Amino acid sequence: MSDWITFALPKGRIMQDSMELFGRIGITCDEMKEESRKLVFENSEQKFRFMAVRATDVPTYVEYGCADLGVVGKDTLLEQGKNLYEPLDLKFGYCRLVVAEPKSLQESDNPLNWSNIRVATKYPNVTERYFAAKGIQVELIKLYGSIELAPLVGLSERIVDLVSTGGTLKANNLVEVETIAEVTSRLIVNRASLKTKHHRISTIIEGLEKVIGDEVKISQ
Amino acid sequence: MRFADTLPESDLPKGVKDFLPLKAAKAEYLQQCLQRVYAAWGFRPVVTPQLEYLDVLERGLGEGLRERTFRFDDRQSGRLLAFPPDITPQIARIAATRMSGLPMPLRLSYSGRVLRHTEQQAGKDRDIFQSGVELIGLDGPEADAEMIAMAVEALAAVGAQEFTVDIGQVEFFRGVMSRSTLDQALADRVADAILRKDSSELLNMLANADLDDAAKEEILALPKLYGGREVLDRAAGVVRNDRSRRALDNLDQVLNVLDVYGVLDHVTLDLGELRGLNYHTGITFQGFMAGVGRTVCSGGRYNNLTAKYGSAAPATGFTFSLLQLLFALDKTLDTVVEPFCDLLIFSTGVNLKLAQELARTLRQRGYSVARDIIDRSRADALDYARQMNYRFMAVVAGRDQEVELISVRSESSEKLSWEQMKQIDLTAKSIL
Repeated sequence: MSDWITFALPKGRIMQDSMELFGRIGITCDEMKEESRKLVFENSEQKFRFMAVRATDVPTYVEYGCADLGVVGKDTLLEQGKNLYEPLDLKFGYCRLVVAEPKSLQESDNPLNWSNIRVATKYPNVTERYFAAKGIQVELIKLYGSIELAPLVGLSERIVDLVSTGGTLKANNLVEVETIAEVTSRLIVNRASLKTKHHRISTIIEGLEKVIGDEVKISQ
Repeated sequence: MRFADTLPESDLPKGVKDFLPLKAAKAEYLQQCLQRVYAAWGFRPVVTPQLEYLDVLERGLGEGLRERTFRFDDRQSGRLLAFPPDITPQIARIAATRMSGLPMPLRLSYSGRVLRHTEQQAGKDRDIFQSGVELIGLDGPEADAEMIAMAVEALAAVGAQEFTVDIGQVEFFRGVMSRSTLDQALADRVADAILRKDSSELLNMLANADLDDAAKEEILALPKLYGGREVLDRAAGVVRNDRSRRALDNLDQVLNVLDVYGVLDHVTLDLGELRGLNYHTGITFQGFMAGVGRTVCSGGRYNNLTAKYGSAAPATGFTFSLLQLLFALDKTLDTVVEPFCDLLIFSTGVNLKLAQELARTLRQRGYSVARDIIDRSRADALDYARQMNYRFMAVVAGRDQEVELISVRSESSEKLSWEQMKQIDLTAKSIL
């Protein structure tokens, strides 16, 4: 089976965007179009396999070599710091990783005066590195979802989270204060796969490079 | 239920493992395969100590390993001691001191265990089995090629099917960077992006950097300079600086030698490979197996190391991670490494002498033979033999009685005379 190429893709919209992009260089999977609860899809003619996994698990599958290639947001890569190649910015799934706080706080707040602040986030590593680089001590509160709730109920003063359109922040009376990183989906590659299957994988990378547009787009 | 209640009393620290017989046999097999290759190329084993003075050891450790060293006080000397996190600096020390009077080159091999601190994460070993070689006193491309050819041969010897030894040359990158005027912080970020082959981030970083277009072009080419031998031509088309060009010449010469050794099929190139940048001085390489995420071996040239112990000599070498190999080859090894003992001798009578005599005879003939010393029934003994992976069981009663030889797997048996039993060919009987 080692002449197969396996992709790890995050379930949902990014998976659709990925397959649409792959389709443009002739990589397809009819099996995926049918409604099903399957987690692994195959195109046995082209010898491609696609695994649908949680976005935050994509780097793990690729790092361990269970998948040769994967598609994942730069936010996840920054957070996990895995030993992987990330040769292509696929330009979709655009969003920003930002520091946000309640509008009421912002009016009296000057980021230059921040010290010892409490931040709720799904991204403790990125958050810690970001504030450490600025010389600010933070107390991190790791949450797994609905981060916007934290400042509303007094769990933290600020949050670090992804925003794409800004709608959710606005609806919860939060405003962006700083941008930590701009995020898009990346193609990631297992190190051993790039070496041991280098012909097939370079062909895919070079092919995709030609069809990726210049415009970054939001995936929602 | 609280988790604390469920922790067994005899647990182990994270990152270390017990190896039970089946696994241990595989590890030993791998080690022997590797050592046979080293010996065939004229490398002689050395044994290094498990403790060193930290200040002595540290001289030879690269940045990344220094902070991963286990260290503590020595009550005898009052100095700090360390468990070596790597064997190469120990060999460099030995070569530069105790062996400095010998003619060069030195071809030395080692197998041993080292300890390293790791981040708290599942699956990261702290107890690492290393097996490798060092070739000290030679600087030419032929010496680098010798290391790579040996690594390929070693991978084939342990039974790896699809594998690649991926070659880099850190001087190529240094040549590219020596032309640029980037400040250190940006240069580090550039190296990191190249390491991840992240072209888009590299492009962003360099967009506003104060560099001429040619220098930018050289840097931007690095993440894509990987593949087969054609990489050398592509690279030559991009770089203008002499240092990088010399690195390409060096690679070309190494590949020519590898061609003669017939291993080019297993070789790929990657000029953007910067692992070990602070340590290595020329050719570097890493062994990859299909389907295994991590490298199974790594090596390269380190011409500045032995000088730190008082006697400068060019050197190159490689090391295999036995645990990575074991993980990668676990299934394949099932077919090669026989976890079996040949024979269990079960005695029914009170006279045990016969059983002991038979055991001695067959051991002398090279078979692995154990005596079932416990007093139990034939059926229980057979059950024991099955669970403990014996291939045969012999039931011995008395000198005038026949010996019953039972195949443990099929339970078929035959009666043999005493003389027949002593002459038995248990290898041929494996079909039974």
